[in-house]
Amino acid sequence: MLATVDSCVLVGLEARRVEVQADSANGQSKFYLVGLAATSVKEARERVRSAIKNSGLAFPGKRLTVNLAPAEMRKTGTALDLAMAVAIALAETGGRVPERSAFLGELALDGAVRHVDGVLVAARCLKKLGYERLFVPAADAEEAALVEGLEIVPCGSVAEVVAHLRGGEQIAAQPFTEVPLESSTDVLEHDLAEVHGQEEARRAIEVAAAGGHHLLLSGPPGSGKTMLARCLPGILPPLELAEAFDVAQVRSLLGDLLPGRPIDWSRPFRAPHHGISMAGLIGGGSGYASPGEISRANHGVLFLDELAEFQANVLQALRQPLETGRVTITRSGGSVTYPALFTLVAATNPCPCGWLGDPVRTCRCTPAVVDAYQRRLSGPLLDRIDLQVGVRRVPLSQLASEPRGEASGVVRERVLAARARQLARQGCLNAQLRPSRLRNLAALEPGSRLTLERWSERKGLTARGFHRAWRVARTAADLEASELIADRHVLEALGYRLHDVAA
Amino acid sequence: MTSLPDLSGLNARGRWPPPDGPRVAIVGSRRPSPYGEAVAEQLAAELARAGVIVVSGLALGCDAAAHRGALIGGGVTVAVMGTGVDIVYPAAHFRLAEEILAAGGALVSQFPNGTSPRRHNFPARNLTMAALSHAVVVVEAVQGSGALITAEAALDLHKEVMAVPGSIFSPLSVGTHALIRDGAGLVQNARDILAALGVGREVLDDPLKPPKRLGFELPGERDGILIHLSDVLTVSAAELARKLHLPISEVLGRLTSLELDGAVRRHGAGYVRALRRAKERA
Repeated sequence: MLATVDSCVLVGLEARRVEVQADSANGQSKFYLVGLAATSVKEARERVRSAIKNSGLAFPGKRLTVNLAPAEMRKTGTALDLAMAVAIALAETGGRVPERSAFLGELALDGAVRHVDGVLVAARCLKKLGYERLFVPAADAEEAALVEGLEIVPCGSVAEVVAHLRGGEQIAAQPFTEVPLESSTDVLEHDLAEVHGQEEARRAIEVAAAGGHHLLLSGPPGSGKTMLARCLPGILPPLELAEAFDVAQVRSLLGDLLPGRPIDWSRPFRAPHHGISMAGLIGGGSGYASPGEISRANHGVLFLDELAEFQANVLQALRQPLETGRVTITRSGGSVTYPALFTLVAATNPCPCGWLGDPVRTCRCTPAVVDAYQRRLSGPLLDRIDLQVGVRRVPLSQLASEPRGEASGVVRERVLAARARQLARQGCLNAQLRPSRLRNLAALEPGSRLTLERWSERKGLTARGFHRAWRVARTAADLEASELIADRHVLEALGYRLHDVAA
Repeated sequence: MTSLPDLSGLNARGRWPPPDGPRVAIVGSRRPSPYGEAVAEQLAAELARAGVIVVSGLALGCDAAAHRGALIGGGVTVAVMGTGVDIVYPAAHFRLAEEILAAGGALVSQFPNGTSPRRHNFPARNLTMAALSHAVVVVEAVQGSGALITAEAALDLHKEVMAVPGSIFSPLSVGTHALIRDGAGLVQNARDILAALGVGREVLDDPLKPPKRLGFELPGERDGILIHLSDVLTVSAAELARKLHLPISEVLGRLTSLELDGAVRRHGAGYVRALRRAKERA
């Protein structure tokens, strides 16, 4: 007899439908699995056989063929296990699955249904493909039920599922997961109130948060670069619902959702070590690429400490995502595109020993070494970082006497207001404004235009540098709730340009 | 001491031999403090204005500042290179080299064309520099610096050697202070150098008068910042904001505005006062 059950495999953030057909026919007792299954899927034969047997169901003692259609698409992962087991069970005993239903889940040998990654992504896509019912591992039911209008059936074991399908004991559908409201009582782990002095860097972080600008902090070891960077998420607004969904989808793919809290309102903060590989940062792997750190940082902050220590090719690969907010990776299986709209915060020492420009300690690097070190950073990558500030070390003895600054909560109020202005005016943050839109949306007063032009004449700004300063000036004006960009805004913006001066 | 190169056999680009007149070599560290850089530039500018030909080595730091200063002063400057005259080293000074040539100066070298930078060629270049000059002024030098080789060669050649004093805390002034202790002339301004050369020309600076205010017209509100800036040590924008009780955004803006006028310079993560320039660079 023949039985057909639907499932899917994930390609990036998309699900592709897979039809699992099982046929038991007369012949020698054998189990054939066809349909371009990768190793992880082929192994399913053994899991499925044991799971069915140990669930008190009969495994067909005949010639059994399981086909995964469409046969030309390569299938990976373990999420097809449940669909195979159900198809085989139904092929033996007869019975049908309800219309427009799909099954996801990995099997244990005792018949239990285990967690699979990416259930949220699958649920969202299958809903779009017209499915009405999704059988998922009980552990993943809450995550899947975030998708509205899809009946989620939590599956504990194969036996339960088969009983349910044959009209035996019914499994109660998972209720729709209410998205928890944001908890406003979160205590910030890193508050700007803890930062002594460093007014310039504090201001730069505020501007970065307000306009979505990328930020480079340059300073000697122990000057507080990391502390400052970690304060950034605390002055950003919480995620919007759509954004939180985007974040949850990437986490779901990686099996990284918090149990009991699939939707998290806080902005991601990712700080990969500088030894990270290209695949780790950008995304990669065999078959279809899986998301890297930049996609995990989507809608949040990517912090790259010791920027100059990263491999040059890894840094170069950041250019496309920085420009477009997404990354497309092609691997043997095909291309996938992941979102990568993040605020980059980079920190670096000014030279290999770290003390160049320090008022107290002397730098011991030769000019050629300093030059080579800074050259690793320069060029196209730095050209895309709007804000560049030097951070000075505050001697320990003075630390206590340095004034404390405003708390993150106060700064956040200003940031929120400035972001609201931008979204109302142009539907995006200033950092994403293209030059053509800048001309329309960020008119310069004659005086401020003259300043910008004088500067670029004097210091030889590139066109990109010119527009960068212009965008930052737009944000400085927005922080003051000013529609016009005055001279002082342009002058401030030009003050965040460390590396034009060094060049 | 190696033998002197044959000065008549130098390769040159630009006007060579240079016009008649006293020649002064200004040399110093390739990694000067903001102070050293400013001093080299200012001395060179004033010497150039007084008709002196400024000789230096086209290296980073003091050398480049000296060439730049000479150009600002509207004078002729000669770069003595450790490479062939067709190879500008460091490459970053390509434009500076072009400007030197455009201003009627010269690039000269004892090495044949196509000689790439070699560590052992630079001390020999330093000898040539000393030989070409009537006096050698060392601006900032750590112990063992190449600038001291030039000074030693100048002594051997019975040329005048002078040095600029600095802070006793600065390692960059250890070499120059040693020179002064050993009898080198102390340089406080261009007039000291001109006097040592026996050139009684008029210069702009009077050593007995305190330095005039910066040679720029400044709108009043930015002046407050300049008082708090030093020409030796860098001050951060954050410190200024605190001293002036102004928001940091305001201070950054004013500093940029001053920078645009050439009155302050950025150095690392801080700012220094740019030393007086009689004429802004075009």
